[in-house]
Amino acid sequence: MGSAVDTLVFSLLNGTVYGLLLFMVSAGLTLVFGMMGVLNFAHASFYMLGAYFAYTLQGLVGFGPAVVAATLLSGAVGVVVERCFLRRVHHYGHAHELLLTFGLSFIIAEAIKLFFGNHPVDYRIPPALDVAAFTLGRQQYPAYRVLMAAVALAMFGVLWLLLTRTRIGIVVRAAIHKPRMAQALGHNVQLVFMGVFGVGAALAGLAGAIAGAFYTTNPNMALEVGVMAFVVVVVGGLGSLGGAMLASLLIGIVTSLAVGVDRSLADLLAVVGAGAWAEGIGGLLTLKLSSLAATLPFALMLLILLVRPSGLMGEKA
Amino acid sequence: MTNDRTVIPILSLRGLRKSFGAAEIIRGVDLDLRAGERHALIGPNGAGKSTLFHLISGNLRPSAGEIVLGGQSIGGWSPERVNRHGLARSFQITNIFPKLSVFENVRIAVMQRHRLQYNAWRRIERIGALREETERLLEQVRLQHQAATLGGEMTYSAQRSLELAMTLASNPQVVLLDEPMAGMSSEETQYTAELIREVTAGRTLLLVEHDMDVVFSLGERVSVLVYGQVIATGTPDEIRRHDGVREAYLGEEHAA
Amino acid sequence: MRTTLSLVAAGVALLAALPALLPAGLLIASIQMLIAALFASAYGMLSGRAGMLSFGHAAYFGIGAFATVHAMNALGGTGLLPTPLMPLVGAAAGLAVGIVAGWFATQRSGTSFAMITLAIAELLHALAPQLKGLFGGESGLSTMRAPAWGLGFGSTVQVYYLTLAWVLLCLGLLYFHSRTPAGRLMLALRENGHRLRFLGYDVHGLGVSAFAISAMFSGVAGALQALGNEAANYAVFDAGVSAGVVLNSTIGGVGSFLGPALGAALMTFFGYAASDATQSWLLYQGVLFVLVMMFAPAGLAGLVAAGARLVERRGWRTAASVALLAAGATVLLGAGGVFIVEMLQRLCSQDYRALAQAAAELPAVRLLERPWSPTALSTWMLPAGLLACGTVLAVVARRRVGSAT
Repeated sequence: MGSAVDTLVFSLLNGTVYGLLLFMVSAGLTLVFGMMGVLNFAHASFYMLGAYFAYTLQGLVGFGPAVVAATLLSGAVGVVVERCFLRRVHHYGHAHELLLTFGLSFIIAEAIKLFFGNHPVDYRIPPALDVAAFTLGRQQYPAYRVLMAAVALAMFGVLWLLLTRTRIGIVVRAAIHKPRMAQALGHNVQLVFMGVFGVGAALAGLAGAIAGAFYTTNPNMALEVGVMAFVVVVVGGLGSLGGAMLASLLIGIVTSLAVGVDRSLADLLAVVGAGAWAEGIGGLLTLKLSSLAATLPFALMLLILLVRPSGLMGEKA
Repeated sequence: MTNDRTVIPILSLRGLRKSFGAAEIIRGVDLDLRAGERHALIGPNGAGKSTLFHLISGNLRPSAGEIVLGGQSIGGWSPERVNRHGLARSFQITNIFPKLSVFENVRIAVMQRHRLQYNAWRRIERIGALREETERLLEQVRLQHQAATLGGEMTYSAQRSLELAMTLASNPQVVLLDEPMAGMSSEETQYTAELIREVTAGRTLLLVEHDMDVVFSLGERVSVLVYGQVIATGTPDEIRRHDGVREAYLGEEHAA
Repeated sequence: MRTTLSLVAAGVALLAALPALLPAGLLIASIQMLIAALFASAYGMLSGRAGMLSFGHAAYFGIGAFATVHAMNALGGTGLLPTPLMPLVGAAAGLAVGIVAGWFATQRSGTSFAMITLAIAELLHALAPQLKGLFGGESGLSTMRAPAWGLGFGSTVQVYYLTLAWVLLCLGLLYFHSRTPAGRLMLALRENGHRLRFLGYDVHGLGVSAFAISAMFSGVAGALQALGNEAANYAVFDAGVSAGVVLNSTIGGVGSFLGPALGAALMTFFGYAASDATQSWLLYQGVLFVLVMMFAPAGLAGLVAAGARLVERRGWRTAASVALLAAGATVLLGAGGVFIVEMLQRLCSQDYRALAQAAAELPAVRLLERPWSPTALSTWMLPAGLLACGTVLAVVARRRVGSAT
């Protein structure tokens, strides 16, 4: 019984850490989406770039500085993307911008395959950090996971304070809700857009630099995480930082818990005596929840889009 | 223009209210529209005239109160349902299909009544009734010579005429026109006022306008909306003499 | 009108004659091109005409493929549904799933709509390998074409003609649809869906209808692929397939009817031709896409239309000179860019790195049958020169066009 609880706690912890990681990636995405109406397909590419930048620099300057440099470089790429690409097609409309970011994400992924090869690279946690934080039951919990969680929470805290307590934050929020009015009041909205875009990219880069060492670093990581980030943004609500945190945790924990459940709907129906019937039908009914774990976020996204389209914490349209 | 109080109104607003969060924009509106009349709605900016139009046409849901069209309560209905029930509205900011031709714009508007929206088996040029009705509407608003022009490339007043044609395409009993003369020169205004008088003959018209000359010449009855409430309804002369109205509104007539 | 008709007739004649003109390998590529063209046209109808950007169209393509495989396994050879009519199954499946998916997706518009379509496709992609009965798990399902109507359908030529017939039929139906009331309404939906409501239309229903029809033709395309490959695998739901059709259609130009088809045919052809010559084909495709988005937003079809306008305004000589300059610029810039990418690709490859570590100085790279030293200035001068000349030509071409307007 004790180990079941341990497993549960482990699942919860892992889910929370994964959720916090998702938050790091989606925080910038939701802010940019809420502000510019642009769903930046390339956002997860900054995540991937962060990991690869850090990997490349780790050998030169060590892990910590590499992570910092990777963050800044990702932010720089974000600024370039906004300034040189997005701004030029802004007047063609949102669909056009969406397609452009899509194309850019494609190019970035292919460029990474070009430079680093179409396989995972050996980006690892430095041995100094590869220790256990604490022991739970018979298993040890990696300290690095705790570090990732801490960074994500710190990011949330800093962003929250910045947006709600500082003058820059107020200007950004004004630009998010009413860009034309903010511009009329004399604020350089173009600069704000560029800045938020760059900061969003930098945060995604930071997430990648940190997570890439723990999970794998490969050219497909953008797509895997990217789709999840979109799910988070839709579920949490556009432009809502709190919503992104809530949705990230929800998705992370639900997925993590589901992976541990080796039961199916048929097993559930067996409780009311309909087990044999369900087994006979097969198909979806006999699928174990653990196999379905990957599909749960999408199901959640569809549910939210139907029941509460503005997201859990988004503004009602 | 009788004052017959036993006439059943075709459109009736009873105790209509609309709030956005804490802000109550429409604060209890009672209004009766008699069948066939031309009724003007005036009021200072921010009085809630557009909101009222949105409520009637189905764009917004009332917070409280009733909207009755032809005996049917339509409050909270979707815009398409309201339109099919015989009410059409125009928009203050021209709301057409800019990359389609004038002809196509009107034809799209006409198509709905012919129940053709899912018809994928007949070539559209072959449907004679559709073409005839579209041409007739274009002639009514005197746009027949610009039929091939793209909607977005016409002059402003021509676009307003197109907007009018599209509003009439569903052959509505009740027509709501939202500032049809907005942004027009005095010549264009006169022309458009005449046009409106012609094309809404036999229909009921509710018109929002700021141009007082138009209001008092076109409108058979006038209602005044101030801060979300109708403070007066009557003939143009009655309104001109109404103290409350002069105070709230007509005094600022030449200021804007 | 006459010229369009004769052009179309010539095109069809050419397509019909292809088996006699091409070797077997290229014929297979042509089948893929036709299927891609149909898929792109189905997509273009939704995104270009109705203005609804779908990022998960692979779902309906894939459903069509799987449904057809099941039908072929169940009914093949029984005479109930002969092989040439199998794509009807794909159409039906695409239509059915399209109605359901479209009902959900069209509740929202714009970017949210795009995200829903992506989520649906990803859901299928994640679910498919788990449902072994329906989708054959990781390895997929296979089938065999049964003989029918006196033909064996074993040869590539017969499959080609079957594919061609269906693609032409579907393109014809799509074109006809664009001339019907329902088809014209799609344009209005794109232009101003909001206004349509006030004109009495059920805009949600219109959206579902557009989505379902697009899904139906996508299902036919999927069916044709299943017929050709005699197999279907869950990889058909991959985001890359959805991405591919978006890329192809946009490069071709969604504003015109044949734009997406031509874009898809072109890109599929280049994919075949280039994937042997280079490993970086996808990168070039992505760069081409971004360039089109930035500088030719109406796609290649839009460029053709712009060229026609130029001829109208400035006559053939100016247009020809601009076209020549533009072509020259494209070739030079392309050559320079490709050179750099190919050099980088070789420099970064694992083989080279191993070689470089062992050698004292960076060894030469083989490209175009010649060795190029990565440290020599001359190596990089070549692409630099190509890019510079190409830019000059491009600027001159721009100026010429600019002075025409």
